[in-house]
This record gives sequence, structure tokens and C-alpha cells, in this order.
Amino acid sequence: MSEMSSSEHDSESSILLHLPPLSQSLFDAEPSDLQQPNGSAARPSSDPSSPTSSGYAPERGSSTATSVSHVEEVLSNEIQEITIHDPQPLSHSSWLPGKRHGDEDDASISWRKRKKHFFVLSHSGKPIYSRYGDEHKLAGFSATLQAIISFVENGGDHVKLVRAGKHQVVFLVKGPIYLVCISCTEEPYESLRGQLEIIHGQMIVILTKSVNRCFEKNPKFDMTPLLGGTDIVFSSLIHSFSWNPATFLHAYTCLPLAYATRQAAGAILQDVADSGVLFAILMCRHKVISLVGAQKASLHPDDMLLLANFVMSSESFRTSEAFSPVCLPRYNALAFLYAYIHFFDDDTYLMLLTTSSDSFYHLKDCRIGIEAVLLKSNVLSEAQRSLLDGGMRVEDLPPLPRSGSSHLGQHRVPSDSPERSREPDCGVGGAAGLWHFIYRSIYLDQYISSEFSSPINTPKQQKRLYRGYQKLFASMHDKGIGPHKTQFRRDENYVLLCWVTQDFELYAAFDPLADKALAIKTCNRVCQWVKDVENEIFLLGASPFSW
Amino acid sequence: MGCGSSFPDRDSRQFGRPNTENGGGQDARNLRVKLVLLGDSGVGKSCIVLRFVRGQFDATSKVTVGASFLSQTIALQDSTTVKFEIWDTAGQERYAALAPLYYRGAAVAVIVYDITSPESFSKAQYWVKELQKHGSPDIVMALVGNKADLQEKREVAVQDGTDYAEKNGMFFIETSAKTADNINELFEDIVDYATSKLHHDVLAA
Ligand SMILES: Nc1nc2c(ncn2[C@@H]2O[C@H](COP(=O)(O)OP(=O)(O)OP(=O)(O)O)[C@@H](O)[C@H]2O)c(=O)[nH]1
Ligand SMILES: [Mg+2]
Repeated sequence: MSEMSSSEHDSESSILLHLPPLSQSLFDAEPSDLQQPNGSAARPSSDPSSPTSSGYAPERGSSTATSVSHVEEVLSNEIQEITIHDPQPLSHSSWLPGKRHGDEDDASISWRKRKKHFFVLSHSGKPIYSRYGDEHKLAGFSATLQAIISFVENGGDHVKLVRAGKHQVVFLVKGPIYLVCISCTEEPYESLRGQLEIIHGQMIVILTKSVNRCFEKNPKFDMTPLLGGTDIVFSSLIHSFSWNPATFLHAYTCLPLAYATRQAAGAILQDVADSGVLFAILMCRHKVISLVGAQKASLHPDDMLLLANFVMSSESFRTSEAFSPVCLPRYNALAFLYAYIHFFDDDTYLMLLTTSSDSFYHLKDCRIGIEAVLLKSNVLSEAQRSLLDGGMRVEDLPPLPRSGSSHLGQHRVPSDSPERSREPDCGVGGAAGLWHFIYRSIYLDQYISSEFSSPINTPKQQKRLYRGYQKLFASMHDKGIGPHKTQFRRDENYVLLCWVTQDFELYAAFDPLADKALAIKTCNRVCQWVKDVENEIFLLGASPFSW
Repeated sequence: MGCGSSFPDRDSRQFGRPNTENGGGQDARNLRVKLVLLGDSGVGKSCIVLRFVRGQFDATSKVTVGASFLSQTIALQDSTTVKFEIWDTAGQERYAALAPLYYRGAAVAVIVYDITSPESFSKAQYWVKELQKHGSPDIVMALVGNKADLQEKREVAVQDGTDYAEKNGMFFIETSAKTADNINELFEDIVDYATSKLHHDVLAA
């Protein structure tokens, strides 16, 4: 086992660029995790002349996946890395061109205080999206970013990373759309780039990739009206980077349920899929209850993440049944599918996807049939109970060796017992100082994450742990390392242990004082435990992913 | 516009076809009306529908995605029951090209603007023209000026609405989803208006 190197990029050869230096003060406070930008405030009134004046008319209804996108991606991602050393200490006021003596406007003050920014702009420098605040007020900054991009483009290839002191600026070029992340969170480049990919995917969900054609017709095309009302979708997505492991694992997770319960849901979804529905997905918040795809149709976990985020963050879906075009970027980035969406309660919702725009009434009938079965088999009430009870807890880790079958929560105090309420305060995790784990099954494209418990019980601590996992994930997925690998990494916060085989990946966090040999033994126990309860935590068989 | 196809003609496109599905038999006094709401984002389409269907008003705006489907049954004074099947469409620009999907099977189109926003009034006119060009010729159209409670911010005169509606053979009403003013009237009157218009058309033919 090797200790993980702290920074992989510092040793790269560096190129000196004279860029407007990034201000330290831009990033001097960590944003509060629970603070959601007000997504519903701004509603730019749209062009009254003609709703189609943008010339935006994406293709619809086609189900043939295309490989064009892959070619384009390979081309646009062949990019080099550049390291910039700050020529002088960063100054507070000189990062905006033409604004040398910082009397920046009010809007910029709040977003300067953030550790991490996301921007999306067009090739011609038109703002498309900005994380904290009105993208139009940031036009000057977009121009700066665009200047950086064209500078590097002129030098040959696309730039993908600029380092300025402790800040990283990560770029992702997707045809006419540039995505930028500026961060001093010390997340690895691969993670930040992955987040930009996901943001781009979310735009495709809403608009399809056909939107690129608008830029071909008019390079100065303004894309913001087409994204009207979607701020909340992006802010919720960006928020999920700090709590949802699916954003870096590229896997989905299931709601823990008794095998028979999940089977009952799967059976009725299968009936529906056989009647001409492309994908039938039953979810509870961001967790899958069951899902079924029509023959040969496969659903990528990233598409599920984007779809679930889109549906959960769009409040209007909760008022009644809805029928909306959506695009699944990994399935077919160029065409819309049609989604019938219905919430059975606050948490559990059904998505029926089809290629035909005229199947609303059929899908509505399907939903009525599904709902009857779900009620009869108590699926909805079981889902609520599972939400309350939670999934695997490190405190419940059974000892080795085990005989016979095990059930989730077998050793658990019932959630309505008075003992339970005492637990979070006195607990110090599970055996051998195990605090948390994530198990990702390669074949199933699914992961299971243990519940958070003491001492990792604040959003801030959870976010820090996920960042630790992300770093591990990035380094474990570096090219040129064999299939079997382990990593053991100790710092002042915890011991992180990662174990990757052909079948699974295990990420585990221990007390920083944990004994290494014991930790490794505990990881074996975790894997055994996961195997023992796989019927309840994973969607087995009938997976549209595996074949 | 390149829109693939309309909804299947499972239900009647005729206005007020007798409802034979729910034991309605030949009882012509049980009507089923498919209705679509169109108009700029933020004019209050969803608020109108939610006021009508659930009697609620929620001031926090929940921009519609795609279109929402709701239904509501009312009894008219002559004890006719009318079941409205309502498509509340999204006013956001990116969904404009999908509108035919929702208005093709509809007997009634309710086109909404916000009396404090002249832009939304011109957008309403855009929708009227669109329906005249691409909609079914016997679709009944209503023009609705919403947010009538905001008198002090009014920028579209009542007369402008009335005139435009009259010129285009539309039913006209001003409403407030917030105060519930004229909301039920809108849905009740549109039935009267449509039946008399149909009757008139039949006589004229
Ligand atoms: N004062 C007042 N405000 C209203 C009224 N109706 C709606 N609103 C407000 O207008 C905003 C938008 O209303 P919605 O019903 O969501 O608008 P919409 O037409 O459905 O918009 P899209 O779904 O984007 O097409 C909401 O924030 C409501 O609070 C009204 O009658 N009076
Ligand atoms: Mg609405």
C-alpha cells in the first residue's frame, strides 16, 4: 500500500501567463451548505415577438442513440494542462479588467465570498449561467474568462486547468459552450471536471444538444432565455456535489426494501415496459425503488442522477401529473423523450419515459394500474418506513464469521424505541473505529452508502468526508494502475481506506487513530455484510444496465 | 414547428360530447371539456387552475415544466355537470414549440396575460394568431387578463382586452387568482359561451 501523494499537479511543468490575478478575497468564506440560492426569484420575461424566434427547434421522438457525440467529445477534450505561478502576491482589486480599484457592484460582493464558483458561457463570451447571482451582471467577468480561453486556444489546444496560487480554474469546452469552475476547495481536477460534465449534462436534459445549432447559425446567440426558470435545477445539482456520492461514483443507489416489496414494484413496472414504455422508474427522493427498461434500452446512472435532480427540484411536478420533454444525454443527447411524471407522495414518484409524444393518456392509465399495485403491496408505505429507518449503519456491522442469512437492521433498535434517540450522541461509530463506508458494485452500477452517524453528523463534516472519498476515487481511477488496488490514507480527520477489485469498490472512513490491520479486517466484514443483505439494498436481476 | 403528432383521439374533440364512460350513458347533461391554458411565463396560469381546482392560492411561484394535467368537475345551474380536463402549459420559451401537443385535442383554449405586463398581452396575441393558424377551426378561445387585483399597476386597459377579444371572436374576462375574483365565472361562462357559440354555428350552417 502506498501513501497517496498530496498533489498530483504541482510537479507539472509550468507556463507563465500574465493574467488578471485571481483575488484571494474572492474565496475567503465557505458557503453554508444549507443555503440555497433563491431559485424562483428571477423570471426574465421572454421575447414577446415570437416564442420560436430563437430558432430553437430540437428533434423529437427519435430513439436512435448516436455516436456523433463521442467523436466530438474526443476532439474537444484533447486538451493540455497549464500551471500558472502567480507573478506577485494577489491583490484584492485587480482581477476585473477595467476595474483596477475595486468599486465592484453590490452583486459581486456576495459571490466573492465563496469558495467555489461555476460559470457557463458561450464561445463568444455571452454568459449562460453563473452560480451565485445574475449572470448578466457578471458579463465583465465572463469577458475575462473568455479572454483566458482564447489566449490558450490561440496557443494551440484548449486549456483545461489553470492554477493560480491555491485557486484552480478548470475549463470544459463542449462545442460552443464553455464551462468553468473556479475553486480553492482543493478538490482534484478530475472531480471538478466531472462536476462540469454533469452541469453540461443537466443543460442537455433541458435543451438537448441541438441547442448547439443555434450557435452555428448565430455565434452571438443568447441562450439564457431558453434556460428560463431553471436556476433551481442547477443550484440543486451543484448542492448535490457535496452530499450525493452518485455525482462522482457514476452509480445509483437503491432505497433499502424487503426483497418481495421491490419485486412487487418491479413486476408491475415490467408489465408497463412491455406495453411500449421505454423506461419505467420508481424512485424515492434520489433512491431507486425499482426500474425497468424496454428491451435493449439501457439507462446510464448519470442520466438517472440528472433526471432525478430535474424532477425533484422542479416544484411544479408535485402539484399534479405532468408530461414534459426531457433529454437523456447518455441515451441520446440529440433527441427529446417524453416523461410522464407523478408524485404519489412527497417523496415517492414515478417516471415513465417514452419516445412518442402522444402517449400521455396511455401513460396515465399505466400509472393508475401501477398505483393500484403499489398500494395493494404496501410499496408506498414500506418506502416511507425505509426512509424513516434508514439503511445500513456502521453500529450494526455484524461480527465475522456469519452463518445463515442476515437481514438489514436485524440487530437494530426499532426506530420508535426510546433507546434510539440516545444513540447519535453516545455513539462513536462501529467496530474498529469504522465511521462510514460506501460500497459500489461494478456489475450492478449501484452503490450503497452507510447512514451518517456520530461523529460525522454535520453537513460540513459529511461534505469533507465526501471530498476525501472523491480524492480517493480520482486517484484510484487514474490511468495506468492495475485492477486490484488498495489505498490507506491517514490524516488528522480520519483514516480513509479504499479497496478496488474487479467486482466492487469499497471506500471506508475510520477514526484517525484506527489500527490499520484491524481496519482492513473490518472492511472484509463490511463486504460480507453487504453480500448478506444484497437482496434488500440492491436492485438485482432485470438490470437494464448490465446487458 | 415540426411537432410530431397530437394526442390520440381517444376522447372526443367535440365540445361537450356526452360522457359515456362513467355511466353517463346518453345523458347529454354530463359534459367533458378539454381545456388548454396558454400564455407567457408568470402570468398566473397555474395559479388560475389551482384556484379553480383546489381553491388555493400559493404566492410562491412554481414555474411549470412541460405541462401539468388536472381535472375538475362542476355543476352548472341547470344541473348539467361539466368535467374539465385541463392542460396547464409552461409559458417558458423553450416549450413554445411543444404547444400543439397540448392544444390539438382541446375544445377550449384559455389565453392568459397579466394586466400589469404589456409584453404578456402581446404574447397573448401571438398565441391567438398561432391558434387561428394551426389550431382546430372550431376551438373556442377565451382571453383572460389575470392579476386584476393589481389595479394600481395596471398597464393593459380593460378596453384593449375587450376590443381585441371582440375582433377575434373570443370570450373575454379579467380575473384574479389571488382574490379568486371571476375564477369560477371564467370556467362556468366559457361553457355557456361555447354551447351558445356552437349552437349558433349549427344554426348558421
Ligand atoms: N397579485 C397577483 N399575483 C398573481 C396572480 N396570479 C398569479 N400571481 C403570481 O404570479 C406568479 C406566477 O404565477 P404562475 O401561476 O406560476 O404563472 P404561470 O403562468 O403558470 O407561469 P409558467 O408556469 O412559467 O408558464 C406567482 O408568483 C403568483 O404569485 C394574481 O391573480 N394576482
Ligand atoms: Mg405555470
